[in-house]
Amino acid sequence: MEIWRLPISASQRGKLISAGYTSLSSLSSISSSSDLARELKVSESEAMNILKVASHSRGSETSNASCSIVEGIYRFSSIIEFSCRQASLYLVKFNLSRAQSAWDMLHDEESLMHITTSSADLDNILGGGIHCKEVTEIGWSSLSLIVNSVLKYKLTTAFGSESIIFMLIGGVPGIGKTQLGIQIAVNVQIPNDFGGLGGKAVYIDTEGSFMVERAFQIAEACIEDMSEYNRFLRKDFQECKIKMLPQDILENIFYFRICSYTEQIALINYLDKFLSEHKDVKVIVVDSVTFHFRQDFDDMALRTRVLSGMALKLMNLAKRFSLAVVLLNQVTTKHTEASFQLALALGDSWSHTCTNRIVLYWNGNERYAYIDKSPSLRSASAAYSVTARGIRNSSSSCKRIKMM
Amino acid sequence: MTPQSLLQLTSQKCTTGCPILDRLLYGGIPCDSITEIVAESGSGKTQICLQLSLHAQLPVSHGGLAASSLYLHTEFPFPFRRLHQLCLSFRSSNAHHFPVNDNPCDRIFVQSVHTADHLLEIMSKTDPFIENSKNQVPVRLIVIDSIAALFRSDFDNTPVELKRRSSLFFEISSKLKALAKRFNLAVLVTNQVVDLVGPNEGINGLRIGNLVCLHTSGRRVCPALGLAWANCVNSRLFLSRNEEVIREENEKSNGQSCDFVKKKMRKLYVVFAPHLPESSCEFEITREGVFGVER
Repeated sequence: MEIWRLPISASQRGKLISAGYTSLSSLSSISSSSDLARELKVSESEAMNILKVASHSRGSETSNASCSIVEGIYRFSSIIEFSCRQASLYLVKFNLSRAQSAWDMLHDEESLMHITTSSADLDNILGGGIHCKEVTEIGWSSLSLIVNSVLKYKLTTAFGSESIIFMLIGGVPGIGKTQLGIQIAVNVQIPNDFGGLGGKAVYIDTEGSFMVERAFQIAEACIEDMSEYNRFLRKDFQECKIKMLPQDILENIFYFRICSYTEQIALINYLDKFLSEHKDVKVIVVDSVTFHFRQDFDDMALRTRVLSGMALKLMNLAKRFSLAVVLLNQVTTKHTEASFQLALALGDSWSHTCTNRIVLYWNGNERYAYIDKSPSLRSASAAYSVTARGIRNSSSSCKRIKMM
Repeated sequence: MTPQSLLQLTSQKCTTGCPILDRLLYGGIPCDSITEIVAESGSGKTQICLQLSLHAQLPVSHGGLAASSLYLHTEFPFPFRRLHQLCLSFRSSNAHHFPVNDNPCDRIFVQSVHTADHLLEIMSKTDPFIENSKNQVPVRLIVIDSIAALFRSDFDNTPVELKRRSSLFFEISSKLKALAKRFNLAVLVTNQVVDLVGPNEGINGLRIGNLVCLHTSGRRVCPALGLAWANCVNSRLFLSRNEEVIREENEKSNGQSCDFVKKKMRKLYVVFAPHLPESSCEFEITREGVFGVER
């Protein structure tokens, strides 16, 4: 309660406020009336009167009936209480046992593990290279030759595994979408000792582009790189033997081949059960989410509903099982104002559903990845290349690193 | 629904009948996948198709599929005489695999296709056809030569028609892929090219595939049927044909007379494929078939 509400004379009130006493509680610290009289340059009896009135008001404030504002606050708090009660009812209803503050979420996010794309440049634009000073420094100073192979194990990407990461990657045929998909399915299995996740992958293939021999090749290269990393970085430490074989990596990719959109929807419904039996799955790759939805749909509104339902389910899975979902999408030409433009397939409403969107495109002779949409990363692009060993930094950017 | 084990999932290939081409293609045309050959007319698309449907009959140990093939042709007439010619040389070089009176042409089922809807109708009949042919040699290869011919006349260049067209592409492609998956078939589709006009590379400056530009006969071309169809195939190969003028010095004739000989240079490029790097190989077409040339 403020001073101006006290039933005292205007001059006394003015003196109190100019002396710095603005609230009743500040007056409560004054022990004797003579102190106050000296401070306000008033007579001691006047000061005594002020204190008496103030203490009286304090007493009435706590009894909370005298002041209309206090009453208002009370009413307000009861509304809050009511809505809280209602909210908790909702929480019970939707089985959200605990709500998180943004602070907690930030903490969680900082402790995220990431899946690398094996291209340091690509990882960089995906928000990597921040949490792992140690390795980046090594990479950039002396061992620039192995920068590629080192960076790719510690540098992080936006494919955080423990938050709901929902990523859509699109590009023209031949740009390397499937390659990126296979690479992610392999890299998610890099053991914890090497800065990986040591998880498993679910690979949903709708196009039939997944080639076992290619996955084997990438897995082999991945293991080779890990042993190289071992040699350079763990000289002084105890040898960390790699017991992995390419066969093991292939075994840990749960491969589903889908031949129609009904199958696709059924599988995504079934995944719930599958994932609760396989808790170590850390990534779901869908290659591509688009293919079966580009035929047979006359009712576009229905298609949009089906797709957003599927997206919700995937989002839910990502949250519940703390895994990353990577969807590959095709591009299509969009007819606008008598000209054809390139756009991601399945329309605009679909592009709202994903949290991150990456577009792969050609720039001259180089492949580039561009972050088209992301809540946490700034728009950036990076070159990458598809090599026999999988996705790697673009060769020209390697040269740049070597020169430095 | 259970996940397939990748260890048991082996990608079988069907040999093209030439070790050099097979090396380029890592063993041949993959099963459970759609491979497309893009080229202008007279580049050897049909030759490769015919040769493949013969070599699919080889036993698995020799790179074949030990299977018969279904040949859907949309361009007329079907080259029976050339098939017969190839068949003779195929039999003479692989005589020990086949009985004396056996004719490999018996295991190539030829069907003509006239429209896109006709193709869909045939594909729905293909399912029982393959299933019921259990007593015979199973069909493990489908060739469509060519897909472009079905689509190049029936559709107007309006957004509505183009949308209908691309919806058909996806329908055909997904049916083919479902067949390929179910019976572990290799699918080979040929496609024509369209000339590229304008300064941009590709359609609207859009580049499909790993090659910067497709050149044949000194022209810049791109595969017909556009981006939508490109999304429907798993691998795309491109055949180029260029005429090179080579000066051949003729020693026999007196003096310094030089003959200018036109020589056909044919090349096979991998435009994109999930399992193949960007690569190319020269090849020639002879009486016996299509063969890679090592330089």
